[in-house]
Amino acid sequence: MNQMTDLRKADASPMLRVAGLTHKVRLETDTLTILQGVNLEINRGESVAIVGRSGSGKTTLLGLLAGLDTPSEGTVELDGSEISGLSEDERAKLRARRVGFVFQSFQLLPALSALENVMLPLELAGIEAPEKRARDLLERVGLGERLTHTPRQLSGGEQQRVAIARAFASDPAILFADEPTGNLDNRTGQSVSDLLMDLNREQGTTLVMVTHDERLAARCGRQLHIEAGVLTEPDTAREMAD
Amino acid sequence: MAAAKKLMSVSRDWRERDVRVVLVALIIAVATVATIALFANQLQRTLVSSASSFLAADRQLEAENGRPVPVEWLEEARNRGLETGQMIEFSTMVFGESGFQLVSVKAVSDEYPLRGEIEIQPSQDAPREIVGGGPGQGEIWVNPRLLRLLALNIGDTLEVGSRKLEITRLLIREPDGGFRLSSLAPRVMMHVDDVSSTGVLQEGSRVEFVYLFAGADPVLEDYYQWLEPQLEPSHEWEGVRDGETFSRSLERAERFLLLGGSLAVLLAAVAVAVASRQYALSQRDTVALLKTLGLTGKGIGRLYLRRLALWGIVGIVGGLAVALPLFWLLVRLLSDVLERPVDFYLDPAALTPALMTALVSLFAFAYPPIRRLRSVPAMRVLRSQPGETGREAIPDMVLAVVAIFGLVWLYAGELALVVSLLGGLVLLLTVLALVGWLMVSVLRRVRGGGNAWRLALVGLYRHRQASMAQMAVFAMTLMLAATLVLVRSSLLDDWQAQLPDDAPNHFLINIAPESVDEVETFWSERGAPLDTVYPMVRGRLTELNDRPVKEAVSKDERVNALNRELNLTWMAELPDDNRLVEGEWFAPGVTEGVSVEAELAGRLGLKLGDRLTFTIGSEKITEPVTSIRTVQWDSMKPNFYMAFPPNGGLTDMPGTWITSFHLAEGNKLLLNEFSRQYPTVSVLEIDHIITRIQEIVRQVTQAIEAILALILAAALVVMAAVVSATLRDRQREGALLRTLGGQQSLLVRSTMLEFALLGFVAGVLGVLAAEAAVYALQVRMFEGTFRWHWQVILPIPVLSAGLLALFGRWQLRPVLSVSPMLLLRRLE
Ligand SMILES: Nc1ncnc2c1ncn2[C@@H]1O[C@H](COP(=O)(O)OP(=O)(O)OP(=O)(O)O)[C@@H](O)[C@H]1O
Ligand SMILES: [Mg+2]
Repeated sequence: MNQMTDLRKADASPMLRVAGLTHKVRLETDTLTILQGVNLEINRGESVAIVGRSGSGKTTLLGLLAGLDTPSEGTVELDGSEISGLSEDERAKLRARRVGFVFQSFQLLPALSALENVMLPLELAGIEAPEKRARDLLERVGLGERLTHTPRQLSGGEQQRVAIARAFASDPAILFADEPTGNLDNRTGQSVSDLLMDLNREQGTTLVMVTHDERLAARCGRQLHIEAGVLTEPDTAREMAD
Repeated sequence: MAAAKKLMSVSRDWRERDVRVVLVALIIAVATVATIALFANQLQRTLVSSASSFLAADRQLEAENGRPVPVEWLEEARNRGLETGQMIEFSTMVFGESGFQLVSVKAVSDEYPLRGEIEIQPSQDAPREIVGGGPGQGEIWVNPRLLRLLALNIGDTLEVGSRKLEITRLLIREPDGGFRLSSLAPRVMMHVDDVSSTGVLQEGSRVEFVYLFAGADPVLEDYYQWLEPQLEPSHEWEGVRDGETFSRSLERAERFLLLGGSLAVLLAAVAVAVASRQYALSQRDTVALLKTLGLTGKGIGRLYLRRLALWGIVGIVGGLAVALPLFWLLVRLLSDVLERPVDFYLDPAALTPALMTALVSLFAFAYPPIRRLRSVPAMRVLRSQPGETGREAIPDMVLAVVAIFGLVWLYAGELALVVSLLGGLVLLLTVLALVGWLMVSVLRRVRGGGNAWRLALVGLYRHRQASMAQMAVFAMTLMLAATLVLVRSSLLDDWQAQLPDDAPNHFLINIAPESVDEVETFWSERGAPLDTVYPMVRGRLTELNDRPVKEAVSKDERVNALNRELNLTWMAELPDDNRLVEGEWFAPGVTEGVSVEAELAGRLGLKLGDRLTFTIGSEKITEPVTSIRTVQWDSMKPNFYMAFPPNGGLTDMPGTWITSFHLAEGNKLLLNEFSRQYPTVSVLEIDHIITRIQEIVRQVTQAIEAILALILAAALVVMAAVVSATLRDRQREGALLRTLGGQQSLLVRSTMLEFALLGFVAGVLGVLAAEAAVYALQVRMFEGTFRWHWQVILPIPVLSAGLLALFGRWQLRPVLSVSPMLLLRRLE
């Protein structure tokens, strides 16, 4: 009952709200500022691409948005929860229920089969009948025949499909992707991004994606630019959203 | 949780190299410790029981005053659950049809022997048999020589005093066929209940009542506590470990086994620590991913704890599965060596150290790096994070050292042992740190290049942390292995020296002064030359500095030697195996003074110049102490507490001569000829005692060899574990080098060189540390003397360099046999 009202209340608020986000790391001699005063709001169901040069701070930003790390300054509010106010474990629980990930280097567990890799987050989130859902998802990404294969027996593109199936498995509210096609050739990358966009639309997930691939970025509802740790938004999108 | 469970299953783990190493190390640790503990326990019991059989019991109470002890003493013992038995020993004449002979009688009760066996022959030609009890009433068993001396046969009657007894068996060997000068005459054995009917025991005749006790050690100790205040000076309580010839050997063997056990613990701990750290490092990605997928730190902790528990179970079950058959095999070996069946003593309590080892290995060595997995940042899935610096591992090391210390202490119960070992280790690590620092500062200057040497040096520098860790582990392993080998060889040398194959095994006693030359000729003509022949005069030490000795020496220090006649001798030269500790040996021509055995001198508080008065028959002689010397009691040669110079006061006293010599088994019949020719000379046959001691030494040696083999196997596993720790990194580098166009031969040479260098430095350090540890052990624990072991110092570094070079070559195999492409993909 309580949770229901919570969810409904959450529905009205933005999926992600970032204010005054600054991130610094201490190096041997001095401190390096990686992100500087980032403000950002992403609504439910939106798809957002973050583009920028290598070393500009994209991955760092993504990690902070997803609550994998905590910022030096500023706030990140993910699905109604202030991230830096949560303990590491609470953030983990939040991720288990609400967040999915797709990585450039796939990050499948080599010891587990494709099916088991997809089942893993379902089990961690305590979702019923994990195997059925995992099978369906692998079917959906076109790997129904490869359930028992381990990552080493799969090509890069196939591995990324497994990773996508895994990301959508626990029916996340928001999906973070860090250069999901970065390790793939053009054609394969194309089909993987098709899959990602399709599933995203089908499930109504909020998507935050870092990419170099301009075509993929263009398929997102909104593009953000980052340069030397400063986030800028091409005016049009912002204004229209307003 | 099928997938998560599978992720954590042992069968899956088994495919992980580091887990395999942890499990194998655990299994080896448990197996080694369990085998050692079980076997040490077994050996101890077997040894003690064979040692006990020297007394025919666990303890003996001798009453030398010719009177039985109060019956309550025996009742008390039985009430406490001890087994008891009785014997009466005396000398008397026995009469056969054709003559008479002085014999030494041992009359035994039904319980005799409580420990050990009697060896008999039913008749002259029948094979020897082992039996568990002595003659019944009306029977007498006799030494075969007596039959010949009296021309008797089995079935004939022998008169002992007024009692006629039937000769039913030939007595070949009695378990407590001790080495006593009183038992000079041929031995006969009869039943104790027949003694009174012989009527030979008169008041004042020389007779010894001996009581036998057997039972659990603590009960015996308690009983002795109870008994001690009631004992008179003429009562002597004898245990296995006092004054027995081989008790020193036994003690050393025990210590050696403990040492071996402790080293096994150390090695296993090292292997577990290294492998689990490696494992934890390799798990960081998985943990980061699991965290990203929403698993909490606590959940991760639980997952890995469960896994650790599984490892523990596998280690313990696997270890015992190895240990038990091994133990069985060792015991079989033992009974082969002993040529008699040995009872298994499978004491569950002996498994405690093994279980402790498993637990401590897991929690002090495996757990700490794994525990830190909980704090792996989730961010790691997105970008590689600064890894462990090694600084986090410092508390682990402290914990590990404390754990090792505790474990070895608990296990060996010897503070000195623990301190020498850990001292050696600390020294080793200090030197290692220095060498490491030196290495790093020298190697930093080396730049890469096409030359194998330079590549090897760059490799060492690039992997400096791993290199240092490997060097530490190799050096430690080598140190431990070398220590064991060194201690073992000096232990064995010592034993061998103690009892060479031609050790004297017969004594000739009671040689009349005028027949000394003839007897010497007799034996040298028959190829069994005598050792030095010593005169022997029986006398009592009665006064010390002109005061009666019983007053002069405080009651606590009442010494057995004062209660009985001492064997006094004179000699011109110090025997080879005696050593002067104080004073001067008699100069040629000197006729005054006396040389006293060191231990007795210590107990009596004698100093150089003290005046000792001896009463010999009705005469007295008084001499100042001019030297104090140690004696090799276990040399199987005549040894004397008191030695006088030739032509001194003792020379005129009535005495006989004594000597010992080695007589080969096949020449035993010569004894009959000798006895016929010199009927007054007594022959004391101690060859079976010597055989028994040699047997025990052999048995202990075998045990030590077996345990050494186990430990060396463990050492090899540790080495393999450590080498394979960096395997993946090196393979990746090798693949990269090949991809970049490096030639295979260059790769091979530089890798082998790198490992050879590592091995050499580790070898040198390990051997030096081993020498230090051996020095400490040898001097402090085994009371031996120390010398450098060049035969080990030189080859070990070379060997370890070679071995490691081969290890290096071996782990390069996949890099060389597979295309770089495949390799990089596989290592991804
Ligand atoms: N923990 C850290 N320590 C030091 N420097 C860091 C750390 N994290 C990030 N940086 C630096 O911050 C900058 C941004 O890194 P980030 O990985 O976010 O870039 P990116 O935009 O994802 O680049 P790419 O497109 O190459 O993946 C880089 O220069 C990186 O070296
Ligand atoms: Mg990046």
